Parts: sequence; C-alpha cells; structure tokens
Amino acid sequence: MTKRVRSKIARGSTELVILALLAEQSLYGFEISKRIEERTGGILCFTLASLYPMLYELEKRGWIAGRWEANQAGRDRRYYGLTPAGKKQLAPLRREWNFFFQALDLLAGVTNG
Amino acid sequence: MADKVTKDWTALVQEQLRPLDLPADERQEVIAELAAHLEDLYDEQIQKGLSESEARKKVMNEVVQWRSLAQNIQRTKLKEGIMNARTKHLWLPGLVSLAAAMGLLMMLTQISLQPRFLGRSPLQMVLLPWLVLLPLCGGAGAYLSRRGGGYRWARLAAGLFPTIVLLVLGSILTLTRLVVLARPSWWYGSLAIALGIVLPSAALLVGTLPFLKTTKAAS
Repeated sequence: MTKRVRSKIARGSTELVILALLAEQSLYGFEISKRIEERTGGILCFTLASLYPMLYELEKRGWIAGRWEANQAGRDRRYYGLTPAGKKQLAPLRREWNFFFQALDLLAGVTNG
Repeated sequence: MADKVTKDWTALVQEQLRPLDLPADERQEVIAELAAHLEDLYDEQIQKGLSESEARKKVMNEVVQWRSLAQNIQRTKLKEGIMNARTKHLWLPGLVSLAAAMGLLMMLTQISLQPRFLGRSPLQMVLLPWLVLLPLCGGAGAYLSRRGGGYRWARLAAGLFPTIVLLVLGSILTLTRLVVLARPSWWYGSLAIALGIVLPSAALLVGTLPFLKTTKAAS
C-alpha cells in the first residue's frame, strides 16, 4: 500500500508544515522540501510547483521572510525564516489542526484506521 | 543574488515562466530561486548515481504545468492582481504623460490667446513650445512605468501614450467620417499626421529614451 498522501490532503497542511520547520531554523526552498520528505518518511512530498506558491503566500502575509545567503556549498540561496508574526501564528495553527484530527477521529476513526 | 546558479537552469526557468508578468526585479528573483531549486535537485540525482539525462528527466518532472505555476505565483505575488500590475506599468504612467501633454497644450493655447500675443502665429506660440516641452511629458510617463517595474515596451508605450491616444482617436474620427476634411484630404491629412503625431512622437521619444535602458535588477 502506498504511503504517500494525495496532494489535495497534503496541500491543506503545507502552511503548518512550513511554519513548523522554519520555527526550528531558517531553510531555503529545496531544503524545506527535502526536510519534509525525510521527516515524514516520504508520506508528504512537495514539488517545486506546490511549494513555492505557498512560500510566497506566507511571505506576502508577513509570516515568513526570505533573504539571499550563501549555503554551505557557497551557492546563493534564498533562506526563509519565521517572522514574529509567523511565530504568533504557529501555536493557534497547531491547536486548530489538533482539533481537526480529534474531530476526524470521532467521525472516521482515523487513529484506529 | 544566485550568481552561481547554472545558467542552463536559469535559462530554462526564464523560458518556461515567460507568462509570469511581475515587476522585472521580482520576476528575476523568482527565476533565480526556482533555477536554484532545480539545480539542487539535479545535483542530488547525480549524487544518487543517476546519469545526466536521467537526472535531467527527473528534474523536468518537478513541474508538469509551468503555465499554471506562473499563474499561481503571479496571483500570490501581486496583491492587487494582474489588472493593477498593468495599471502600474502602463495605464497610470501613460495617463500622467497624456494629462501633462494635454495640459501643456491647453496652457500654451490659453497664453497665445492673450491680447498681447494675438499677432503671433500659433506655430510660434503653441506648437514649437509644446514640442520643446513634450520630452518632459514622455520622460515622466516612462520614469513612472520604470519605477513601477514596467518592461521596456511598457515604458515606451507610457512615454508615447499621448500620441498613441491621438492616433487612435484621429483614426476613429476619420474612419467613422465624424471629421470630414473640406480641402484635399491628403494635404491636410499629412499635415495633421506630421504636426499631431510624427513630431510630437519624436519629442516624446526624446524624453522616453533615457528610461528605456535596462536597469541592473531587470537585466
């Protein structure tokens, strides 16, 4: 059985996933997508096409901010970091998802699935 | 910014994101960032042991619909939407150029009607000073378009906007026969085109040209 989550389901979680990762450290786009894939064991995968519009959206909202910096290989990459406004968003977003999973569990028995 | 990104990927992204209509510097930044992502992905595939062609194929699968990606990015990046980007690049600077040119013409006409200037020819009192001042109007339009991030064509159109409007209006009026020329039309037609379109266009172009140079950010 495939363990990959369909893109429609994954898309809804992108916001939380990105903010949670950037709360740990600043990362650039490719690192974010790799980190998501590694941490979720490949269950969540974001391609370039699904990741960057969300990064730009979060940046527009003022929750993350990007700046060009050289990475370890000396290549210029646009690193994203969480802004104070983004940090404020993270806790309520986590709570919201928690409620959502509880509700989903009550309805569809997700935990025992 | 991203100066070490393989030119190949930058060229590819630039080509695929042609429909992306953003201010030049912002567009360049998006292209650089996406090219960097593709470059990293390609390097990763090579490190995994894939051949160059296999790695390239894998990278190309990263985006299936570039047009849709360009639309998504544009929608996200432009707070005001596509129409307002065009307003910023073309319509508003063009209207400023048009208003300045028409305002000047009106002012000069008013001055020429003063009793002490009544003996002088309209060419000397209105047309020549107008042509001399028109480069400022063209320059203002092109400058505003460049400041708003307009491409070269938008800056040119904004600078030449007054004569474009005159040409369109003149053509409509002539074609719909709302203006009927009493004298042999070729002579008056040519004179109208020369004095109303060609010379003002040349004057506006003089003011527009300095703002057509590609800025460092847009290069």
